[in-house]
Amino acid sequence: MTATRTCDVLIIGAGATGSLAALVLAKAGLDVVCLEQGSWVEAADHPHLHADWSWQRRTNWNPDVNKRTHADDYPVKSDSSQILMWNGVGGSTNVYGAIWPRYRPSDFRKGTEHGLQPDWPITYEDIAPFYEAADALVGVSGLSGDAAMPPRPASPTRPLPASKVSKRLGDAFDRLGWHWWPVESGTISEDYDGRPACNGCGTCNGCPRGSMSKYSQSIWPKALEAGTELRINARVLKIEKGPDGRATGALYIDRNTGHTHFQKARIVVVAANGIGTPRLLLASDNLANQSDQVGRNLLHHTLVNGEMWVEEPVDGHTGYVASLISREFAETDVSRGFVNGFNFNCITSTASAGELAAGWFTSGRAPWGPDHHQWFETHFGHSIGIFAIGDDLPNPDNRVTLDPVLTDSDGIPVASTHYAPGENDKRMMNYMLDRIEDVAKAAKAFDYRLNDYRDKDGVYRTPAWHMIGTCRMGSDPETSVVNGWHQAWDVPNLFIVDGSVLATGGVVNPTPTISALALRAAGYIRDNFQTLSQTTRPAVAA
Amino acid sequence: MTATDRRNLEDLPPSEGAALLADLVDVLIPGGGGWPSAASIGVQGLVAMRLVEQSGELELGQIAAAIIDAGGPFDGRTAEERVQIVARFETAQPDLFERLRAAAFLAYYESPYVAEAIRRLGRPYQLKPHVTGYPMTPFDFAKDTPRHGRGAYLKTADVRPVDTSGLHLDEIRTERWGLER
Repeated sequence: MTATRTCDVLIIGAGATGSLAALVLAKAGLDVVCLEQGSWVEAADHPHLHADWSWQRRTNWNPDVNKRTHADDYPVKSDSSQILMWNGVGGSTNVYGAIWPRYRPSDFRKGTEHGLQPDWPITYEDIAPFYEAADALVGVSGLSGDAAMPPRPASPTRPLPASKVSKRLGDAFDRLGWHWWPVESGTISEDYDGRPACNGCGTCNGCPRGSMSKYSQSIWPKALEAGTELRINARVLKIEKGPDGRATGALYIDRNTGHTHFQKARIVVVAANGIGTPRLLLASDNLANQSDQVGRNLLHHTLVNGEMWVEEPVDGHTGYVASLISREFAETDVSRGFVNGFNFNCITSTASAGELAAGWFTSGRAPWGPDHHQWFETHFGHSIGIFAIGDDLPNPDNRVTLDPVLTDSDGIPVASTHYAPGENDKRMMNYMLDRIEDVAKAAKAFDYRLNDYRDKDGVYRTPAWHMIGTCRMGSDPETSVVNGWHQAWDVPNLFIVDGSVLATGGVVNPTPTISALALRAAGYIRDNFQTLSQTTRPAVAA
Repeated sequence: MTATDRRNLEDLPPSEGAALLADLVDVLIPGGGGWPSAASIGVQGLVAMRLVEQSGELELGQIAAAIIDAGGPFDGRTAEERVQIVARFETAQPDLFERLRAAAFLAYYESPYVAEAIRRLGRPYQLKPHVTGYPMTPFDFAKDTPRHGRGAYLKTADVRPVDTSGLHLDEIRTERWGLER
């Protein structure tokens, strides 16, 4: 083990939030070191450039950490969820779809609304400016003027092209009298910040062009230019705490050499996602866990979907992967039989003819045998997918724990997750499936299928891109892990900036919100660095 | 040769194993109507390679055994009999069959000959669309902006307690949910 200098800020994890924190803090002139257990994912590493890309995204490019075999990953056991993430510079933005909706004001006030979730210690208005800042960095495409959301400035780039799918679904929502709006995306519709506009390829599973904001291309170059020292293949084993209660730095292993090092730091920022962060804290002698809340309240969203096929060709295999968003059911209406709401994330279809034939979204797929080609001819170019994504209620038993036996290749206990939907979630999913059926009928689909993500044994196996809530933010040290500035209640110079801090899940993809929150938290650290780098006083409510 | 004999790929004459898989993929995706058959474009080769990579060489022996158990080989059988053999395979070993089917479908549609057949249907299609992209018309603010005027949200200050007493979330259990209703 070797000792190194004491840096101002040590960031653990080089994904979306780690990169943004690094950018803000390094630009302020602070000495920032970022440790990333994975490595760079170069454009040529993506499968998009090869004819077998659809096979690769079922195998070595599979976003499910348990379905690919990468040395950069760590094992995650789960009795339910499909654990989707990417370990490397840019994190899961290497494989995501970049749908970019914001939380709504009521998402921060669920404690007031019904008390089955906590109020956040902050409001929509507190993070709105940081949404704008993140949008500008990413080059978000979208359309202002949506009456279902607070007013906002024009997006940095115009909405992505209105596809045939968009028009077909827009007509369907109009027939139903339901809200719809062009989807916001972290994919640029025009050349922006040195990156080329989306070319409509439809293979939106990461984007080696950089049209879809892959943070290793959009953020990291700026963070490095500002002076961040990024160490890749550096897997953190443990965060250490001193006798004064402050974090002193992190022990990590250089995966290239096998040597361990200790990086001393005045402030430690954890940005290792909703699984990795609680795992690391629990493995660091139960750090920041006096409340016993670390790892609890795992949220994935309530998620179901449907696929429909319409007679008129819509060429859903072309263009950006998403088309519309509908916020018709986003707010609570207890007459539906449950609290909270959901959005429709309307997508297009798969860009792969093989995936369509093999089944990619629901049980719908081509038969084998003499009828195969007839099915394909009537379904390819006629397919439309739609997700319903809702706000699941927290349950302390849905959680991330450490496996008592298994460890990874470096001796860190394996993360184990448990997640099961609760009563409110089940009612909501039933309602969502019925409404998807309404959309399919309004779209005059000749065939449609629904998907509840339950396996043959009835277990809900959600594709869990959204791993949030496991170190949640709050106003009460007894029921949360960090305060409104992302500062650990128990360790005054420890900050958590990833999706684990989200107190509620909202009805949207979380990357825009965790990006905004990371910018806000990093600004707080920057502006209060002198105090935070020395204080031993416990954190106080924001 | 019995099915048991064929569970190990080493026991299977290579030409026979290759023929079994080629015949099988041709039953899955036959040719006709402008579509090449799966075997004619070499799907069986890609499938064999990928299944071995994914599950090991024993998988090919298991497939051969499953075909024999289901009434194979396919030589001398009518088209209808071939379909029946594969149907029995699917019923007897659904998980193995599913891996095979998915691998065959994906491999088939990776072929440039199949991509051309798709284009001849009148649909745009590229094997590597990320390289070429698809032409799209930019969003037209005048034409494409929604005019429905629908949508509402609660402002922060307007969030009020809702009455949840009628929900009985603690007392009523939804046992049948999702597609099982």
